[in-house]
Amino acid sequence: MKKKIGFTCSYAPVPIIEAAGFSPFRVFPETDAADHSGHILHDNLCPHVKKVLDRALGGDLPELEGMVFINSCDSMRRLSDAWKVARPDERIIFLDLPSSTEKSAIAFLANEYERLFTELCRWNRVDVSHDKLKERIQRWNTLAKSLRDIEVCMGNKFYPGLSVRYQETVNLASVNGVDAALKTAGTIHPENMEAVKGRAPVFIFGNLLFDPEVFTLFEQWNMHVAGNDFCTGSRFCSHISCRGTDDLFYSVASSFMTRISCARTIDVADPGSIAENIVKHAKESRARGVIGFTLKFCDPYLARIPGIREALLRESLPFLLLEGDCTLGSIGQQQTRIEAFTEMLEV
Amino acid sequence: MMYEYFENMVQGVTAKLAEEPGKINAKKRYVREIARLGKKLYAENEKIAWCGVTVPFDLLNAMGVTSCFVEFVGAMLSSNETAPLFMKEAEDSGYAPDSCAYHRSVTGAVLKGMMPDPDFIIGSSSPCTAGLAVMENMAKKFNRDFFILNIPQNNSRNSVKYLADQLKEMADFIGKHTKEPLSLEKLGTALEFHNECSRILKDIYDLAKQTPSPVDNKLLRDFGTVVTLFMGSSKGVEICRAFKDELTDRIKSDKIDPSKEQIRLMWIQNRIQYQFPIEKILEDLGAKIVVDELNDVTWEPMDPDNPFESIAKRIITIPYSLGTDKRIAHMQALATDYRIDGAINPCHWGCRQGTGVRGLTTAGLKQINVPVLNLEIDCVDSRNLAKGQIATRVEAFAEMLTQ
Repeated sequence: MKKKIGFTCSYAPVPIIEAAGFSPFRVFPETDAADHSGHILHDNLCPHVKKVLDRALGGDLPELEGMVFINSCDSMRRLSDAWKVARPDERIIFLDLPSSTEKSAIAFLANEYERLFTELCRWNRVDVSHDKLKERIQRWNTLAKSLRDIEVCMGNKFYPGLSVRYQETVNLASVNGVDAALKTAGTIHPENMEAVKGRAPVFIFGNLLFDPEVFTLFEQWNMHVAGNDFCTGSRFCSHISCRGTDDLFYSVASSFMTRISCARTIDVADPGSIAENIVKHAKESRARGVIGFTLKFCDPYLARIPGIREALLRESLPFLLLEGDCTLGSIGQQQTRIEAFTEMLEV
Repeated sequence: MMYEYFENMVQGVTAKLAEEPGKINAKKRYVREIARLGKKLYAENEKIAWCGVTVPFDLLNAMGVTSCFVEFVGAMLSSNETAPLFMKEAEDSGYAPDSCAYHRSVTGAVLKGMMPDPDFIIGSSSPCTAGLAVMENMAKKFNRDFFILNIPQNNSRNSVKYLADQLKEMADFIGKHTKEPLSLEKLGTALEFHNECSRILKDIYDLAKQTPSPVDNKLLRDFGTVVTLFMGSSKGVEICRAFKDELTDRIKSDKIDPSKEQIRLMWIQNRIQYQFPIEKILEDLGAKIVVDELNDVTWEPMDPDNPFESIAKRIITIPYSLGTDKRIAHMQALATDYRIDGAINPCHWGCRQGTGVRGLTTAGLKQINVPVLNLEIDCVDSRNLAKGQIATRVEAFAEMLTQ
């Protein structure tokens, strides 16, 4: 069994982790471990970071060979600081991630990814193999295409259970690796499923929404998830284009920086474009409404939500914002609001 | 309105200085320069840039740009008690009260049309993601060109090179807006001023280390952060000299009351900006803030022959930009150098980058037997201030330290 490398952010490059001979393990913020993170971090940090730290403090983790942290936001930076205290014997790699997406930023991130690869190969005592990396990128792209195909089907029609299967597959890639996810993806055949009419298509976006059970609830609450934009969903497994360069690290960096971005990544040429992007994707998925699921205390989203609301309003797309910790328990409390919202869309 | 506010401030302080021509009055001279900067920011015919905290203002000064970090405006609105009005505007527009009040005030001011329209905007990824998000919103609102200075946390050769290259790009970006390219000669002069300021700042901080310390609880509040706005200019040198003279004069003229220094304290990160007499409360308890965390020279002298790399190294070593382990090591060094008895950490609500690691900073200072008082407080938003509770906790902390 392959040794695991933990990570917490979708900018952590799974193909690079796998090419170094490790299995990726995304530490999802879901645990029964006691709430002890407040001893180290302030309570006003996002529940994602605090729950992940609770897992570390409570020993609710598999054996990890090390962790990859990304300088994606203040909370993630602080999590990496706290991790050193919570698990002092565990190896950590901290990667700097530029906030903007110009060429120099991508080149810098490419260097960071190369540093990661070299370091992981050293940890695992394997040779740095670009062929291996190329092969893992190809597998990743195969998975990305499969998931994208499922997303397209989800957008076209409402297939009961499809969004749940989709999320299970993404999660498998996150915690067991691409090959495991590909096996599952191969068993999903929307063409053999029966579409159901009468549901209001909704586009959902936010930080992370990873529990497949949440999607079962959505279906019970009359929601048809026509499209999604989460770092545990469509943003996670995105195609890596290797065209135009032999530098695989640059390819990974470029693809990750220019895909649909997390709220923390900024296009300086088009400030505030996250709002227009959400409108665009909601329209592409033919959604009649949009629901945002954001983490409490998440600064990147807190600052952008008014702009997103305004952009959706301009396009007459109804918007519901739900703030919480993005876990099943938190979403469960929102049933009435979500049902009322989807009912309103059907009118 | 804001122009007149600053104009009145300049006139008022100038009149007071004229009444006491023989006095050094460092603080008043400093406040006057801040007011003059405020006036320029709201004046017409100035090239204006709104910036992030760690943007190199010496470089902007060298290029003739009037620039300031936006948190300065948040602090100013808080100090004149108008911040709640602007925060309410922001909150009514959908900006969550969970966010940093420095940024919420600024956002409200933008929405109310109270922020001057800049020529361009330069954000920085350090100290915080929230600050950068506000800059992005401003760029959108004002429809101005936006530049981001990505400041890596890892202090490596590659990071320094990346940042130095960005600084060159930033100079080109500014030059396009001012229609004047960067003059390396002017930048060299600015860096010489910066070096001179840094030398004097070191002297100031060395004087502050003395026992009893010639500082008082208010003299150097947030000084290290704000003085960076002037350090690339002769004004910066004048300000720094005035403070050094003031402290030297206090020592020479035996004006220091040792009874006000039964307890020596360090203040972590920023001070409380609104009218809350924490400094007076401490003074009455015989406690003196002898050092603020950000009042330190953490950089090597700038090399005018290698300006961009010098500036890059400087930015990367500011405590804001560091990982918490290095930040704590810096605090521990300050605690030892200043022989402090305790530290106060105002856990500014909404601050993830600083307040976020409350537990780690507390533990780090505890390692060297320095107790920390973590105050749950918003440094800018006074609306939920629990005055009595804060005072009681401060009193209890002081009592504990004197036992």
